[in-house]
Amino acid sequence: MRPYLLLAPLILLGILFLLGVGNALIQSLGYIPAFGMTDLTLEYYKQVFSNPTLIASVKVSLVIAVVSSVLAAIFGVLLCAALVMNGYVRDRIVQAIKIPILIPHTIVALFMIMFLSQNGLLARILFHMGLITAQDGFPMLLYDTNHIGIILAYLWKEIPFVAYFVLALMTSINSTLGEAAENLGASGIRSFFHITLPLCMPAVNKALLIIFAFSFGAYELPFLLGATIPKALPVQAYVEYIHPDLRHRAYAMAMNGVMLLITLGISGMYYLLSRKTERMNGEQRG
Amino acid sequence: MELSLKNISVALSGEEILDSVSLTVDDGAFISLLGASGCGKSTLLKTIAGIIAPSKGSVFLNGVCADHLPPHKRGTVIVFQDLRLFPHMTVAENIAFPMKMRGAAREEYVRTTTELLEKVQLQGFERRRVREMSGGQLQRVALARALAANPNVLLLDEPFSSLDENLRQDMRQLVQRLQKDYKITTILVTHDRQEALSMSDKIALMMDGRILQYDTPENIYDTSVSRTVADFFESAPYIEGVVRDGIFKCEIAEFVVDKPDGIYQAVLRSGAIYIDEKGPIRDFYVSEIQYRGEDYKITLKEESSNLQLETYISSPCQFNVGDMVCIGLNVSRVLLFSSN
Repeated sequence: MRPYLLLAPLILLGILFLLGVGNALIQSLGYIPAFGMTDLTLEYYKQVFSNPTLIASVKVSLVIAVVSSVLAAIFGVLLCAALVMNGYVRDRIVQAIKIPILIPHTIVALFMIMFLSQNGLLARILFHMGLITAQDGFPMLLYDTNHIGIILAYLWKEIPFVAYFVLALMTSINSTLGEAAENLGASGIRSFFHITLPLCMPAVNKALLIIFAFSFGAYELPFLLGATIPKALPVQAYVEYIHPDLRHRAYAMAMNGVMLLITLGISGMYYLLSRKTERMNGEQRG
Repeated sequence: MELSLKNISVALSGEEILDSVSLTVDDGAFISLLGASGCGKSTLLKTIAGIIAPSKGSVFLNGVCADHLPPHKRGTVIVFQDLRLFPHMTVAENIAFPMKMRGAAREEYVRTTTELLEKVQLQGFERRRVREMSGGQLQRVALARALAANPNVLLLDEPFSSLDENLRQDMRQLVQRLQKDYKITTILVTHDRQEALSMSDKIALMMDGRILQYDTPENIYDTSVSRTVADFFESAPYIEGVVRDGIFKCEIAEFVVDKPDGIYQAVLRSGAIYIDEKGPIRDFYVSEIQYRGEDYKITLKEESSNLQLETYISSPCQFNVGDMVCIGLNVSRVLLFSSN
């Protein structure tokens, strides 16, 4: 009985979560009796993939998620490799890279506004150095349709996340199989690309999927740093949710449904990668 | 290739692991670094391979200082205790890896891989994954991969310790055969005395980061330079006696020796004594008989003291516990150490 009692909080939270998700999915199919909507339909999903504003939102979210996750993975691996190759695996530097991971996204958005807006610190420094002559001379990094501000904010947080996520595995592989590869005639760089990196890829991919899923569905950064039009999917969903015409909530829920499906797909891939990693670890132990 | 170590000292995390180790291994020789766990054997191997930098001293390959050479350019290849085969590669890819790293052409590494797999008796295993192989097969793959690196010096870091006895014997023979075929200067790290004695041209006995004696197996066993060395090979009782005018005298025996006068301790190893009804040493009885398959281990105790000797006799055993026996002495196998 005791194990079930210990599991009770998790089960309770799980039920609440699933009730919320189920409710959102039902509403996304146009079933909200309180507003007189009782016919089940896929019309709201069709709208998400046909209404230009909503399509634009899907694209914005995809671009932000793909660019952020891929760049974070690349630079995160490079940061991790630099730490491992230089022996900083138990150093204060490792403690320092945890800081961005701990700082909330909202605070990161405020940093970005303070540093990167056209009247931010960086623009002011450049102005005082005489490199720009007016506020307009500083490139529009925030609130723009190129999403640079959002992506930079994600990178600031997620590059350290990837590095930290992969660090233990890379350290272990580098000190055993990487060492063996160098002993067999591979230079440090070739050992890294032939042995250490391929064996770290399951962990890198897992980190990439986590970042993709998060940046695709997260609300704060696109809301605080994104362009007015087009909006990222979560922001657009929120706009639809608080629309004066309450029947628009079905659109919001259809958008949530899309995000849910993509996130579920990513969870499936994460599960498969985890199994692959476990198998590989088993081989190394064997 | 001849390998020379000159006064190698290594300190890790402030702790001295190796203390002024010097050693020369002749071209094509097979030597063993013998010692208990933690004595610095593996550290010395990694220092030779350039993985650990010495705090003092130098490594010479064919007389040329190799200190500036990074690990991948030394050609001092280790077969690690945990093998370290690459799990994302097939057997053939593992073996071809060092050849690919030195830029060999595809046909060369495919041909060499096939040859090496034949040498280690694993023909047809090219496409197998590491996880599909047994422990003994993995050992062979690791050995083949090390040979594929065309090593100047082959360094074997307790490679047989995880194998059962039969497989270990097979692997020892395989290693010896390949070492002779390829004439590779080889260093075997082991804590197994029999392994070191049976396989090596020379043995370096290590303790606490120092080499206590470096000699041929016969010499290191029969003329150990110190009690510590002698005790490592066989724990045996010591009997104190005196050498005067070329004769050693102790309470149970006396015999001619080539030693200056003085007080000595004689080590009576199992090989130095034998049960002989005409033997000069009396008053011993059989206190224990242990059957070992190929022979019996007989423990003998002196009636009037706690002195306990051991010897081995071949089957069948004609003695019973409690039998009184006489003991003969194989004087040439008695070690004497000065008490001064």
